[in-house]
Amino acid sequence: MTPSASTTAAGPAPADVAVGPWHRAWRRTRRRPASAAGAVIVLLFIATAVCAPWIATGDPTQGDWKQIRKAPTWAHPFGTDDLGRDNFSRVVWGARISMQAGVFSILLAIVVGVPIGLVAGFYRGALDQLIMRLTDAWLAFPFLILAIGLVTIMGPSLTNATVAIGLGATPAYIRLTRGLVLSTAAEDYVQGARALGAGDLRLMSRHVLPNIASSLLVQATISVPIAIIAEAVLSFLGLGVQPPAPSWGTMLNAAQQFLETAPWLAWWPGLAIFSLTLSFNLAGDGLRDLLDPRDY
Amino acid sequence: MFEFLIQRAAISVVTLVVISMIVFTGVRMIPGDPARVMAGTDADAAGLEAVREKYGLHDPIPIQYLRWAALVLRGDLGESIRTREAVVHTVATKLPITIELAFLSLLVAVGIAIPAGVLAAVRRNTIWDVLTSGASLCGVSIPNFWLGIMLILFFSVRLGWLPASGFVSIWESPLANLQRMLMPAFVLGTALAAVLMRQTRNSMIEVMSADYIRTAYSKGLAGRAVVFRHAIRNSLIPVITILGLQMGALISGAVVTEQIFVVPGFGRLIVEAVFTRDYPLVQGVVLITASSYVLINLLVDVSYSLLNPRIRIRSSAGDA
Repeated sequence: MTPSASTTAAGPAPADVAVGPWHRAWRRTRRRPASAAGAVIVLLFIATAVCAPWIATGDPTQGDWKQIRKAPTWAHPFGTDDLGRDNFSRVVWGARISMQAGVFSILLAIVVGVPIGLVAGFYRGALDQLIMRLTDAWLAFPFLILAIGLVTIMGPSLTNATVAIGLGATPAYIRLTRGLVLSTAAEDYVQGARALGAGDLRLMSRHVLPNIASSLLVQATISVPIAIIAEAVLSFLGLGVQPPAPSWGTMLNAAQQFLETAPWLAWWPGLAIFSLTLSFNLAGDGLRDLLDPRDY
Repeated sequence: MFEFLIQRAAISVVTLVVISMIVFTGVRMIPGDPARVMAGTDADAAGLEAVREKYGLHDPIPIQYLRWAALVLRGDLGESIRTREAVVHTVATKLPITIELAFLSLLVAVGIAIPAGVLAAVRRNTIWDVLTSGASLCGVSIPNFWLGIMLILFFSVRLGWLPASGFVSIWESPLANLQRMLMPAFVLGTALAAVLMRQTRNSMIEVMSADYIRTAYSKGLAGRAVVFRHAIRNSLIPVITILGLQMGALISGAVVTEQIFVVPGFGRLIVEAVFTRDYPLVQGVVLITASSYVLINLLVDVSYSLLNPRIRIRSSAGDA
């Protein structure tokens, strides 16, 4: 957590109330240059993932036996790997796999976890108790152990790794949503809507959900980088993306055998993961500030 | 107090039962004949029949579960397909290595996180605070397997100071053992340190603004005495809970770290079991890991209630 005093020191001047939300957002963004830089880098990675075919200088899976483990040159800025493939192209395509795994797994966790948490928190009682005991048990499986168990049953692939990561992240969303619902459902405006005759479904979707959405969004910025690292770990262990697909994790696995002769193979994929997750965390910190209604 | 312990223990028992059901169901979801799954592909007809007999595979599923649970409670987790060794025995030989690694990395984590967290809190909003917070953010963001590879690249390949991999038992040669455990413990410890540091800083800041700290200052105690004798002790109570919750991350981290540094512990056993499709071993390891997580957190909660008398009073209010 970065010093919060900087936010209070620059404090809301009375004139601040008059300006629009965009202006206020811009002002707060300027107060946190590190978060802004993080957000820009995340956007660059997204752009890389989307435009991988145009950014990559070569085919990420096509090897050239005359170019095996060559140190970085102008033609191959990140060098070539043990099968003579262009490492730069592989890192670029790897962004796509990492983003896919990171974003889709957390989407899955949200799609599964939020409704369950909503129901548990809204109806309370025996159903809530049952859901919470199941969630406790689910949480007791350390993430990687859970993923290993699921991959053992389903077999290793990008899709299965994504599902395993998503299911591993689900209990956190159930708990968070339930807690938020418990406090929101007691608010006067929800009780008011109920008094006006709104049904449960309407109460949940129109009154409770919109008010907890920003907290869920903040949680997502925390869990996406964790999911990205998780995919890399699973692929590194051979339980995720299978070769020859260019995942940063599988690339690091291969690089480990050539640390003495081709250390550059280990630098770039790791640096890519590190800079992406660091930027995500920085941007997430900023977003938390930006969405915090107490700081108006 | 007693009531709190009973309630907390009851919840843990329920959780353990649900865990066992999940693990039992998980093995049933593996495609194919369950007898084949548990006995391995090279088992003969007699071997398959023995497995069917032992687990009562002709009975209805709930009976099968009860029979399996009774075996588990007696410490029978089946035998490894590959080595034909009892799963409990295999785990017992691997576990001490991982416990040593976990203990060393806890030392690293606590040794870094608590001084740094306290420093950041006491010197709040100075360059020290910014530096430690930045280091903590980097620690959370860096994939620990990459950190491990980079350490090997630097300390083993470049400088040749430390062996890159391998394992020597601590009973054989404590020095050689430590040499090989240093990098794995550091990799595993820094990830934990990053989380603990944040928690220590936050809880220290909270404690430092408490009334009794102001009283201590106004009595004329020196800043150092206040921090060391009054503040740290209380600020560490919530840190212990986080430590318990981080056990899962520590186990996951051990799997990866042991893989990189070729430490023949529990984590490496899991990965090997998956690759060799040694289902009884995977099942046993997953069950043991999840159960120990629950038990460790029960112990953490109990010690928390011993350290913090306030929690005993609100015990009957319940948490769920």
